[in-house]
Amino acid sequence: MKDNIFAELYNKLLGFFRQAEEEESAKDVACNRLRVVLMQDRTNLTPQLLERMRSELVELLSKYLEMDKEALELNLDQEGEQMALMLSIPVIRAKDEAEIEKALAEEEEKTEETTDENSEESDESEDDEDEIQEEDSDDTETDEETSHPELVSGSQAATVRKFPDKEICGDCRECELSDDIECEKKSQNLSVKKTK
Amino acid sequence: MSGRVIVITSGKGGVGKTTASANIGTALAKAGNKVVMIDTDLGLRNLDLLLGLENRIVYTIVDVVEERCKLKQALVKDKKNPNLCLLAAAQTRDKSAVTEEQLKDICEKLKKDYDFILVDCPAGIEQGFQNAVAGATEAIVVTTPEMSAVRDADRIIGLLEAKEEIESYRLLLNRVRPNLIKSKDMMSVEDVVEILSADLIGIIPEDTGIITSTNKGEPIVNDEKSLAGRAYMNVARRIMGEEVDFMNLEEETSVVAKVKKFFKGLMGKEK
Repeated sequence: MKDNIFAELYNKLLGFFRQAEEEESAKDVACNRLRVVLMQDRTNLTPQLLERMRSELVELLSKYLEMDKEALELNLDQEGEQMALMLSIPVIRAKDEAEIEKALAEEEEKTEETTDENSEESDESEDDEDEIQEEDSDDTETDEETSHPELVSGSQAATVRKFPDKEICGDCRECELSDDIECEKKSQNLSVKKTK
Repeated sequence: MSGRVIVITSGKGGVGKTTASANIGTALAKAGNKVVMIDTDLGLRNLDLLLGLENRIVYTIVDVVEERCKLKQALVKDKKNPNLCLLAAAQTRDKSAVTEEQLKDICEKLKKDYDFILVDCPAGIEQGFQNAVAGATEAIVVTTPEMSAVRDADRIIGLLEAKEEIESYRLLLNRVRPNLIKSKDMMSVEDVVEILSADLIGIIPEDTGIITSTNKGEPIVNDEKSLAGRAYMNVARRIMGEEVDFMNLEEETSVVAKVKKFFKGLMGKEK
């Protein structure tokens, strides 16, 4: 009985001190909130555009890697004066060469297919192939559709794929990716952190 | 002579731009420089009040621009210091009465006769800010250790960095309260400097003396005993290129220091 009382008292005391330690001071709260807000202020990218960039990056990288798309994290970080794009992806495994070749070939055919559609020339045999491919691509898109329904949906998906840069910049004049030269600069800063 | 044109800006209102302008200008003049202050806050002028010159204004910057008087006629001399004068803003007009080009032109003319041209910028990032910055090559960004002020300062710094004419900018941290920093209720000087990653030109403690000095129309630098006055004097020395250590505010505002000051005051009176 006595032991219990002491144990309880001990735990309470311990809890009290822990609380005091863990409680963030007003100054820390201010600093952390400011850092986040300033990060957003300093970039012209809206959350929507960031999400779009995220989904496009997933698409690009999934040609080469099998990864956990749900756990992917994309953040802008301030390191001194330099801003860095931090991308953290849990990689399940790297795809082998044959798979990558296959994915690239599919991609190529798809662009051909869309140009065909544009010029309105179509063979029946090609059409059949196209249908199969479309089904395939639909499958890969499903998880993206669920996570960002407003971004990649149905026929829009194809256009997003073809001209990613233009598509982003069409919506936002201030977008930093609008210029091809700046685009390259950005990609230099882009540090990709891979975690396994 | 080619004077330096320094704009004093902040983004957010009420952080002490005008107080800083009045004090830095007075301090620079006290140190022997020829100083002219330009109030660019058209329609909301206040620099004249802080300097106690409100009754002496005949012509304003708008009169100069619209050629109703010569530039020299519009410069109001300070009561105490002949090295210091003010080009007041018009109270009856709005920000569009003066253009960037016109302000640049005025600064160029004043550069020939003065060591320092201090431009007191209005709050905000609109045309008033653009005008004030137009003629300047240096900037002092005034902020306080509060979130909104720091955020606005960050925005201003972004805009200043985009301006080619601005060669350098430094941060003036105003209304610092050592007691609150000690109890971790307020962001410290280091926090603000780190977040904004900018160089510091001065730390001004919160001082009730500022209120009385404003009421009297006499900048606090004239009171050599006051902490804020000394801090502003240090800012002026740093602008002039001297290396001055930053005050240890925690020490200066401690109880011991206050007791010492009290006794010093008593001794002074007895003599």
